[in-house]
Amino acid sequence: MSATTAVVRRGAPVEPAVLEFRQYICRACGLIYDEEKGDPDSGLAPGTRFEDIPDDWECPLCGVTKSDFEPHAVVALNRTGGTRDTVNMTRCDAAGVVIVGAGTAGWTMARAIRERDADMPITLVTGCNGAVYDKPLLSVAMAKAIGLPSMVKETGNDAARRLGVRLIPETFAISITRESNTLRTTRGAIKYKQLILAHGATPRTDERLPRSLCWAINDLRCYTRFREALGKPRQPQHIAIVGAGLVGCEMANDLALAGHVVVLVDIATRPLASLATEQESDALLSAWAALPITFQGGTRIEQVTRQGKKLVIDTDIRIAINVDHVISATGLQTPSRLAESAGLDWNNGIAVAPDSLATNVKNIFALGDCISINGQAYRFIEPIAKQACVIASRITDGEPLTYAHTRPVIRVKTTSKAFTV
Amino acid sequence: MSAVPLRLSETIPESLASSAMLERVRAIAQGPLAAIAEAIDREGTYPADVLQQLGKAGLYRAQTRLDGTPDFVSALKGVVEVSKVCGATGFMVWCQAACTLYMERSGNPALGGDTFLRHVHGDTLGGTALSNPMKAMTGIEPMLLRAERVADGYIVNGTLPWVSNLGADHYFGAAATVHEKDGSRRDIMFMVSCRGPGIELKTCPSFAGMEGTGTWGVRFTQFKVDASNLIADRVPEFLNEIRPAFILLQVGFGLGVAQGAIDSMWAVEGQLGHVNQFLHDRPAELQAELDALTLRTHQIARMLSEGKSPSPLDVLDVRAHASELALRAAQSALLHQGARGYLLSSSVQRRVRESHFVAIVTPALKHLRREMAKQSTQEMPA
Repeated sequence: MSATTAVVRRGAPVEPAVLEFRQYICRACGLIYDEEKGDPDSGLAPGTRFEDIPDDWECPLCGVTKSDFEPHAVVALNRTGGTRDTVNMTRCDAAGVVIVGAGTAGWTMARAIRERDADMPITLVTGCNGAVYDKPLLSVAMAKAIGLPSMVKETGNDAARRLGVRLIPETFAISITRESNTLRTTRGAIKYKQLILAHGATPRTDERLPRSLCWAINDLRCYTRFREALGKPRQPQHIAIVGAGLVGCEMANDLALAGHVVVLVDIATRPLASLATEQESDALLSAWAALPITFQGGTRIEQVTRQGKKLVIDTDIRIAINVDHVISATGLQTPSRLAESAGLDWNNGIAVAPDSLATNVKNIFALGDCISINGQAYRFIEPIAKQACVIASRITDGEPLTYAHTRPVIRVKTTSKAFTV
Repeated sequence: MSAVPLRLSETIPESLASSAMLERVRAIAQGPLAAIAEAIDREGTYPADVLQQLGKAGLYRAQTRLDGTPDFVSALKGVVEVSKVCGATGFMVWCQAACTLYMERSGNPALGGDTFLRHVHGDTLGGTALSNPMKAMTGIEPMLLRAERVADGYIVNGTLPWVSNLGADHYFGAAATVHEKDGSRRDIMFMVSCRGPGIELKTCPSFAGMEGTGTWGVRFTQFKVDASNLIADRVPEFLNEIRPAFILLQVGFGLGVAQGAIDSMWAVEGQLGHVNQFLHDRPAELQAELDALTLRTHQIARMLSEGKSPSPLDVLDVRAHASELALRAAQSALLHQGARGYLLSSSVQRRVRESHFVAIVTPALKHLRREMAKQSTQEMPA
């Protein structure tokens, strides 16, 4: 027995740091060596300090040696893990409606069902935390000096409680097993009676704009990280935005009004080329003349690389652009994996019937950014509420409504020169 | 990225040769293997004869390029046939199959030729010690083996707590982290002979079941790696190449345990159906789900055979689904069989433990879900 141990045994007045016994955990099997208890079976008396253990001592459970142990700190457990919200309840719970996605489409869908049926079980599965927010704010919040905390209208849990929805946050839908009406997720399988896909679209991937360097902002989580990376307002940063469509122009406008220096790059020779007339594009550029926005049209990106603290964009016109941040706003694409796993018809998005928004599988519906009607996707907020009402009417009792698609009115929120197309 | 299309209604046709191979495998599984399944599970009998016979039947050859294109569908079906009867042996077939992948894809002539042919024929048997490295590479735990460079290779030290399908004359693939003098680190993979110098097999504590899997702790003391046993010195690339097949062949183990459980539910249906109808997860329901999963798995296996790269999420998802289904089927089989399934000697009881193993062996269900979540998360600038 070591001298230290003897001192402890007698309870002599030594430094508290010396008194404390420590624990060490085996990295292979998780066995804990407690100095206080020792390991009498292998000849280590209670009180044997870890440093006094011979090097050839073996873990009594799995046989690795002392060098595979590390200090073990006892951490208070956060016991909120397996709450009712997150456990897999595939078999015993009555299968109700399962909605994939907690963006505007997902929450609007949940509300539309709840307004018609107070009791229908609704489960909402989402890869994010489920916070309710207005997506259009993502491209106008800075000029309006809206802080990040006030962008969340309601937390996911509060919205779930209000609507009587079982929210399963931070959970990714992986595939659909049609034979057993099951949605497979990263927290287990969930049975559904009806499945509603509201998972939206994701930013188009482009290897010249790697995600490790470029911001592809399409949700609050990414937007929040971007705002945090920008740092305090009033510290102007140089920002390149690739893609001068609706989102690119709105973000350029917002960032410039907030004092940042923006270069807006597009292969087209004018901003909003596919949405607005030439006169409208000119009017926008004139309105921007007073702002720190440079429009770099007719330019293709070759690559983005990090050089020190700066990002360098190489272009096909031999101009290198040096900036602090790059935003990729080159459009959206609908992820196809869930649709393919269920054998859903696909036509530039999940093909739904124009009147019922049903897919070709009778108990699977879809709405919002992930659908296409006659091959055309419309990724705008306005049709979502109408679509949700139609689907809700078809899975609850009562008169089924018919969807009538109209071309949505698009407001370009470039506040320096806003217009409607 | 696109998911594997699942709606293919017809099954993948089997060649005459693979039908004959599977017929031989089935005969071994239902004959000599069935006779010792309980002894393997509880008494720790290591089924060396059966594993060798399976090699002679051609099971280990199917996945190789020895006859031209690899046939992962048949290899998978073979694992299912064995696992239906004995999960422990199904698992060891997978160990052998993983070892086959390492030898074949290493490109090392010392691991090819006659050495490889004897392995594929089941004359010699091998295992895999990649549980720890696979977890280390996805950031779950640190590497347990440490290597240092010497003039003509590396010296490896450390201890692996449990490696399966080992014996005195067996071998296995392992990996270690090389700690270079300049402080940099990288990994190497190598083959280890159980009777080699510097290798000591150590008895493991008792397991809850599957005792006959030849599972040992392995102590490495100044173990030498050189040109004769190196598998790969670019380990991440090597593992990326073999990972889909490595995981997919394991799916066969889960599918087989699930099928065995469903079969034992049908076995009592005539007698107990009138009360069993009040249970959920009934055999027909589970069978439909298993059939759909099997078809999906075969489609991924066929992509592998054709040299295509299946979506990593699909591979992880079928592996996770097989775990979940094996757990549900084994549990339900116990409920269907009632008291007779509660006898310690019952195959149903054994399958419950096997299904637990399917769900905890690397990659465990929790690892699979974690990895799928990781791959589904949008990357952002740091």
